[in-house]
Amino acid sequence: MFYRLSGIKHTRYVSARALWPIPADRRILYVLGALALLAPVLLSDLYLTSYMLPWLIWTAAALSLTLLMGMAGQLHFGFAAVLAIGAYTSIHLTRAGVPFELALLGAGLSSAVIGSAFGAAALRVKGLYLVMATLSMQYLVEWVIVNVPAISGGAQATLNTPDVRFLFVPLQSDASLYYMALLWTVVVTLLLLNIRRSSFGRALVAVRDKDFAAAVIGVNPVRFKLLAFFVSSFLGGVTGAILAFCYYQAVTPEQFGFNVSIQLVAMVLVGGLGSVIGAYLGAGFVLLLPILLTNLLAGAAQIDWLPISFNLIAHIPLMVYGALIIGVILFEPLGLAKIYDNLRKYFLVWPFRHTQS
Amino acid sequence: MQPERRQQDDPQQNLHPGWREEDHLIRLLVDNARDHGDEVALRERDRGIWKEYTWRDYLEQVMDMAAGLEACGVAPGDRILVIGDNRPALYLGMVAAVALRAIPSPAYPDTPPDEIRRQMEAEAIRCALVEDQEQVDKLLGIRAQGYDGLKTLLFDDPRGLEGQEPEGGMSVADLRARGRSCRYHRPGLDADLQSRARVHDTAVLLHSSGTTGAPKGVPIKHGHILSGVRNAAAAGYFQEGEEHMAYLPMAWVGDFIFSIGAALALRFTVNIPEKQETALHDLREIAPTLYFSSPRAWSNMLTRIQVGINESSPLKRRLYQHFMPFAVELERRRLEGSAPTALERLWRRVGEVMIYGPVKDHLGLGRVQRAYTAGEAMGEDVFLFFRALGLNLRQFYGQTENCALCAAQDPDSVSLHTAGRPFPGVEVRIQEDGEILVRSENVFDGYFDNPKATAETLQDGWMHTGDAGYLEDDGQLVVLGRVSEVVYTAAGERFIPTYVENRLKFSQYIKDACILGQGRDHLAAMIVIDLEATGHWAEEQGVAYTSFSDLSQKPEVYELVRGEIAHVNAVLPQGLKIRRFVNLHKEFDPDDGEVTRTRKLRRKVIDQHYAPIIEALYDGRTALEFEARISYESGESGTLKRHLAVADIPLAHAAKEA
Repeated sequence: MFYRLSGIKHTRYVSARALWPIPADRRILYVLGALALLAPVLLSDLYLTSYMLPWLIWTAAALSLTLLMGMAGQLHFGFAAVLAIGAYTSIHLTRAGVPFELALLGAGLSSAVIGSAFGAAALRVKGLYLVMATLSMQYLVEWVIVNVPAISGGAQATLNTPDVRFLFVPLQSDASLYYMALLWTVVVTLLLLNIRRSSFGRALVAVRDKDFAAAVIGVNPVRFKLLAFFVSSFLGGVTGAILAFCYYQAVTPEQFGFNVSIQLVAMVLVGGLGSVIGAYLGAGFVLLLPILLTNLLAGAAQIDWLPISFNLIAHIPLMVYGALIIGVILFEPLGLAKIYDNLRKYFLVWPFRHTQS
Repeated sequence: MQPERRQQDDPQQNLHPGWREEDHLIRLLVDNARDHGDEVALRERDRGIWKEYTWRDYLEQVMDMAAGLEACGVAPGDRILVIGDNRPALYLGMVAAVALRAIPSPAYPDTPPDEIRRQMEAEAIRCALVEDQEQVDKLLGIRAQGYDGLKTLLFDDPRGLEGQEPEGGMSVADLRARGRSCRYHRPGLDADLQSRARVHDTAVLLHSSGTTGAPKGVPIKHGHILSGVRNAAAAGYFQEGEEHMAYLPMAWVGDFIFSIGAALALRFTVNIPEKQETALHDLREIAPTLYFSSPRAWSNMLTRIQVGINESSPLKRRLYQHFMPFAVELERRRLEGSAPTALERLWRRVGEVMIYGPVKDHLGLGRVQRAYTAGEAMGEDVFLFFRALGLNLRQFYGQTENCALCAAQDPDSVSLHTAGRPFPGVEVRIQEDGEILVRSENVFDGYFDNPKATAETLQDGWMHTGDAGYLEDDGQLVVLGRVSEVVYTAAGERFIPTYVENRLKFSQYIKDACILGQGRDHLAAMIVIDLEATGHWAEEQGVAYTSFSDLSQKPEVYELVRGEIAHVNAVLPQGLKIRRFVNLHKEFDPDDGEVTRTRKLRRKVIDQHYAPIIEALYDGRTALEFEARISYESGESGTLKRHLAVADIPLAHAAKEA
């Protein structure tokens, strides 16, 4: 209905392989982009800093993880540790006087190095065993952070982030923090979209589908598995730094616990493995839905619709949320991205059921 | 050859005093390359992407090919055989030949070799420009069978030929390279090549299919094409800079006129699909502004949409089934002259967003401003459907002999049964016997090497089309059919059975019809119902039946067919309304000799087989017992007794009085 495909012709292969060759898709993007840019004007501070901002940052984290889990097919149950390494590295670097821009790079690099060291396990193990290997990373990194005072500043300590500037812009106001997060999320998004249509992305997919088949056709699985861990951990490290500076502004080891790793995996799975739009939808689902449910229930309890104990109110959203995740996995194993894709195709072939020519 | 041409030239100069000597296709091309050099002239889909040629490239390549052709020994007046699907090299080659004053003579790619051979012999072909190995092999076969005139054989696609070119064979790429080096060594050559053509030169030698007898060569001159195109443009039939899809056969007159004549004169962008099979898909990528298709192709398109909708999901199907009949009904009333109300117009806009726009988009017709059909009668359903979608579908009328540009419907006065008004500059007259005569600057000057046929067709400057028709009071031309098929009733009313039969067959319930009435008082019809559609209808109505003959004799089916005939009667003149009909108990069968294999009626056999039924149709009986003779596939024959009903059709005005 909204999609018009006639008259879309390409005179070069480059334009035929463009990210969004269909005008209607581009129009949707323009609208979303404009809304994202205007969010500090349109939204109240509360909504901006406690909904939009974390949503964007967790999207970036989910995107980093989906590169590894969705495209390269390597399970990772310790991604919170990767974020933690990035967060602590950046804080210590900026405290040491390193400019924020370089600190971000340093955060990415340290995460990437440590992440690929654990990822080396993936060269020998797959599936559940890889889950165990990455879980060990989660616990080891957590243990090290907690027990090395030089990193955490003590077992119960909270590290505050120093005031920094990014490209001469001081990151103080809510809006500047928001734009910093937006910038990073857009960069990661574009990177992933382009990796997917590059030879690197196709090699990752080949390794995911069958690593020894990939080896047969000349794709070196060792190299690409390690590269996948490296790139994904690098992006995760930078995201961890952004998370610390733009959102938490004070970090403790508990913020990067095992439950966070599981939440990240949930975002990727619910959103749709390997899908970029899935990361946005998945992060939104996992992050915002519980808040929404809590608000709804609390609102209902306040006007005496639900005569239930306050304790129960805290738990019902979690139950509903768990049921929703099961529902998504059960009814659409390919995630929210697939639901969006189905919807788009429904309109793409309107008024027919499938393409005509 | 040359002296003959000179002798002909002089009287022809007198024939067309209005033509200016310098006004020819090559001059137009040179002008376009100079004034609009960077605009896209030609687009070809090659391995998924569109390769573009600007007007400057176009001229450049034409010059290369012209110089190359000359180096190959092509002389003025030579005929060049062109065979293949639409390809830029073939179009450019034809224009290059025109620049040399040689005459391209296109043939349909699926023409069998013996027919090609006849054409080659008749036209003394020495040079051929073909698409690919398939056509090269065809011509080599002809050469092997003893036609030794063919000296040069140019092919566009070198696949399967590279390294083993036949004698005299050369790829178009080599031809261009050769031409380029000639142009490099002779600096004045370009200007020379660009100034040779004359308006009185023959630009193309087309072939009139000739429903009667062998194909005749129809030489069309620059002047014919240009005056035809300009007449049509003056009538708003084309506009400058149209986006045009060149997918119809190159040997068809319309393709030369649209893709070369009008394209040069009005700077069309000509788009060439990758293959015939991908034409529909490529059409969507191009979204042309001008679209021509045969009634059959339009009808196929409608079928495709309906099949797609039947498979579609319930919501989409419901929306379609609401909006489409609404628009068709609106269009029907609009053609009858009643304007839609404001509410209906608003609702139609909603439909445009919901259904009409997307459907047009799927067909690749979203940007079509001018959609045309011609050649045969178009079914009312099809015509109304596409007009209801918002396409300004119009019919036009013309023959090879008048550049296919004779008459077309105005955008604002469209009706189903007329072919529209003659273009400005075209005179149309109806002879006493009903034949349509045409006189204009775009009517040809005589057949190729066939004075007898020329004398028959061109008399006192009027071209005899061989079509029967009449002019309506508002000047709209109605084409009925071939003059040779005209018959008369006892009252002397002239009619063409196939014209009426075709209109009956537009009904989905009628598969075949045979109209009787020659030398009789009134018309009568023998109807063969369509088993599938009528059977389906009967099931829906709860009418039980056992066999074809049982179904055909059901009173409900008679009622249904009566309604369909009454609908056709509404557009027939008073003396030519169908008064009585009978539903036949069987289909016309080629095995019984009643129809040809291409399903054309053999009236003599039918008159003979069904003599008792015809008698009953005219003696007022309401039923008869018919001894049906059946021939089995084994060759034996037997007889079956059938009870057939004969039904009357009350005339509309009679019904009102009663």
